[in-house]
Amino acid sequence: MDFRNLLEKNDFILLDGGMGTMLQARGLKPGDTPEALNLESPQTLIDIHKEYIAAGADIVYANTFGANRHKLERCGYSVERVVRAGILNAKRAVAESANPNALVALDIGPIGQLLEPTGTLTFEEAYEIFKEEITAGSEADIIVFETMTDLYELKAAVLAAKENSELPIICTMTFEENMRTFTGCAISSMALTLEGLGVDAIGVNCSLGPAELYPIAEELCRWTNLPVVLKPNAGLPDPLTGEYNVDPKRFAEFVEKIVPLGVRFFGGCCGTNPDYIRELREMLSQHSYKKITREIPAACCSASRTVVINRPRIIGERINPTGKKRFKEALLADDIDYILGQAIEQTQGGADILDVNVGLPGIDEGAMMTRAVKAIQGVTDAPLQVDSTIPEVLEKALRVYNGKAVVNSVNGEEKSLQTVLPLVKKYGACVVGLCLDEDGIPKTVEGRFAIAKRILDRALALGIPRENVFIDCLTLTVSAEQSAAPVTLEAVRRVKTELGLKTVLGVSNISFGLPERVIVTHNFLTMALTNGLDLPIINPNVPDMVGAVRAFNVLAGYDKNSLEYVAAYGGENSSKVGQAKPAAHEEITLEYAIATGLKAEGARLTEEMLKTSDPMTIINGTLIPALDKTGADFESGKIFLPQLILSAGVAQSCFEVIKNHLAKSGEKSVSKGKIILATVKGDIHDIGKNIVKVLLENYGYDVIDLGKDVPYELVVNTAREQNVKLVGLSALMTTTLGSMEKTIALLREADLDCKVMVGGAVLTPEYAKQIGADFYAKDAKESCDIAKSVFGN
Amino acid sequence: MKLEKINRDEAFRYMGQRGELTEQLRGLADECEARLLSAISPKLVYAVFDIEHGEEIFVCGTPLKLAGESIRGHLEGCGKCALMAVTLGGGVDRVLRELESSAMEKAFVADALASAAVEQVCDLAEEEIKARLAGAHFTWRFSPGYGDLPLEIQRDFLDVLNAQKRIGLTVTDSLILIPRKSVTAIIGISERELTPKTRGCSTCLIREKCEFRKRGEHCG
Repeated sequence: MDFRNLLEKNDFILLDGGMGTMLQARGLKPGDTPEALNLESPQTLIDIHKEYIAAGADIVYANTFGANRHKLERCGYSVERVVRAGILNAKRAVAESANPNALVALDIGPIGQLLEPTGTLTFEEAYEIFKEEITAGSEADIIVFETMTDLYELKAAVLAAKENSELPIICTMTFEENMRTFTGCAISSMALTLEGLGVDAIGVNCSLGPAELYPIAEELCRWTNLPVVLKPNAGLPDPLTGEYNVDPKRFAEFVEKIVPLGVRFFGGCCGTNPDYIRELREMLSQHSYKKITREIPAACCSASRTVVINRPRIIGERINPTGKKRFKEALLADDIDYILGQAIEQTQGGADILDVNVGLPGIDEGAMMTRAVKAIQGVTDAPLQVDSTIPEVLEKALRVYNGKAVVNSVNGEEKSLQTVLPLVKKYGACVVGLCLDEDGIPKTVEGRFAIAKRILDRALALGIPRENVFIDCLTLTVSAEQSAAPVTLEAVRRVKTELGLKTVLGVSNISFGLPERVIVTHNFLTMALTNGLDLPIINPNVPDMVGAVRAFNVLAGYDKNSLEYVAAYGGENSSKVGQAKPAAHEEITLEYAIATGLKAEGARLTEEMLKTSDPMTIINGTLIPALDKTGADFESGKIFLPQLILSAGVAQSCFEVIKNHLAKSGEKSVSKGKIILATVKGDIHDIGKNIVKVLLENYGYDVIDLGKDVPYELVVNTAREQNVKLVGLSALMTTTLGSMEKTIALLREADLDCKVMVGGAVLTPEYAKQIGADFYAKDAKESCDIAKSVFGN
Repeated sequence: MKLEKINRDEAFRYMGQRGELTEQLRGLADECEARLLSAISPKLVYAVFDIEHGEEIFVCGTPLKLAGESIRGHLEGCGKCALMAVTLGGGVDRVLRELESSAMEKAFVADALASAAVEQVCDLAEEEIKARLAGAHFTWRFSPGYGDLPLEIQRDFLDVLNAQKRIGLTVTDSLILIPRKSVTAIIGISERELTPKTRGCSTCLIREKCEFRKRGEHCG
């Protein structure tokens, strides 16, 4: 008997109940490591498994939930020993039981530390931790990942299982009453992502009782055709006594209501015991399992947001260096913050999905793509479209993407089909198929349609669902090839209606070479939407373009009662919160804008001034003196920190205007010196460091921001390689001051000609001296004074 | 538990407020508060244990031992203690990350507001615990890291409460609680009236450089 035979029986499948509950009843104390019992008291485990099998369980979970490197650290046993023993105990129980066909699951729970970006564990480290458990548990019949709250962690787990084992995989996550996990994962995101990754069953366990899980099970069933698993707690625990409030009979009654939803696997979690499983078996024997097939819509998602393509959705095109000097500069300087700024600006402008392209000669595109995807998904919940011409780069992006991505792109060329589509299949992504092949872009509608069809057929042959294939019929520049526009529009219409596929178009290209481009682009967009375009790739920062899509959604009846349109344009649209409004008659100067925190005004005034003054005059004559003044006001107590940061923010926007200006004119920016900033290893409180960064940049220093939780060596190596004269280190915790000391020691050992300044809440000038720092900065302002003295400027 | 509004005065105090608030700062606080309130999902887990006063304080039925003079003094006369852990949830970390990469001033204000919010949630939690144990007498909340109570107990502390499973709270190797805006604390419980202990600066790690203290104020 194996898992697949069990599925073929087309009946309900019964799982076991709580393990912790059973162990606690046998004397396990809160805070003990339950998995140690696999070795210390195997008979206890064998007996528990046997009780569950006797109660009717078809599958028992081995006692390996927390048997990972991290959690076992304190008990001294290796992962391999504990996991093997756990599986062995369960197998022995099966052999000694009345049902020798019962299956044993390698049970794997969360690692116990949160992944980046909220936590410090990397995706790659998580993968290795799971891989170790999976390898150790190779004797099991199935792998179960349960009680997961972070889709990213679960993705690492599933990849580790798929790449190191042939066993079937069940995944269950833990949702709260707000239909999300603790980390904010949505049910739809879970279903879309995991079904894409090719697991065998998905479901929910723990956190709530069967009554509260009804709506969650209902929502999950809506989003998947995989077998659905339900393992509720025995109700809710009393906070004081820990007792659960639903008895076995009522438990089964509540679960019975869920049966018609189409759930197939049932069991119990915290608070349940064999009596609950027996009641479930009894109840299920009165019903027969009926598979319900549902139509899953075309959609992509991040962990917390699903974008269903049932109406036009905007793909933001701005994260792409093509033709953008400032963007190229940012990529070369490893300036990830610039990219994050572009991401946030576009989502605020109305983008539903963000295209991410970081291809530039001279950089390691794969490494940059990994960093960019990780960073962007940390600050926005918009799903990403990963964009590269290099399959290896696409794979890197797909691997670390948390959700169901869109791949941009595959085309009709054999080589492209062979390299890109398998990646799309493996990672369960959507894919954009371009209507071109070895012979270029067909001039006719038939030619483009034929390529679209070919791409679809190849995708289907690999098992990629039809709804995951989007077709780009390609926009050509109308000023160069006027007859091409109608071909594109007609191809869109045919692909949409005849193949039933979603369509994508990069629209901006249409107007290249024409004056007042936005008029042409905007109208082409409207025509394309009318012909069935689903996914326009546009610049969402241009209000006319977003407006065209919003208006279309009203006119085509998607935006019911024009609610979204009114929300976007009606009412008080001028609510620029956080921006003081200057009196209309007031003559605003750049100094005034900086002193009062008027960001948009600051940028506008800088543009104005650039028409008549050179950048250095503006910087040294206006910006720096204005900053000095707010710095002095801060020191004297006239203003406090938020105001200082506000002013610094205005200056930052002024500098951004100047940088853009310099990038366009090809002049080199002037740097007063390079400074490394890092929040030390083990520490993740980086708001203080980030404030220092803004201020230092304002004073014209090039800040190399190494981020938080920075390894000692990285600081030393960067200082050496880039010949940096000043290193700023930040730590907020007493527990991480040791890391600060070690970083400084290593810098000294490397014998680099560089000074070190340190700061952070628990530091004192004395301690700074003691750990070998050259300077102690009591606040962000003082770090600028230190920089001035080090660089003598 | 639900938080309807955030204690702004407290948050501005954390920010080191001097002088009158400008309209602009109030606007910033409005915006940040609204963002935070929609992201905050406050969660509490707690349990009450007997304690044994020995060389260290033993939390009965768990591997947890509370070491140091400060906690000894704090729990003097108590036969039980409540261990509690609260968190605002990971949504707040998300908002702070987004703001840090788009508008530093908002990130700063939101960070202070979130710190005030987690204190409010602690107060609510404390009320809930006290209501369940009506008639008993309580000490104030004492957290790992105060005085000489080592932060190193965080991991055992969370395990005893099963805090990851129950409220999604974890701790890193360098003993930082994640999600970031979270608190663990110990409340002493006694059947007899307790001599009130001052919640002073003497157990505070940053007393030497505290801006509040320099101004003759205090933080909590």
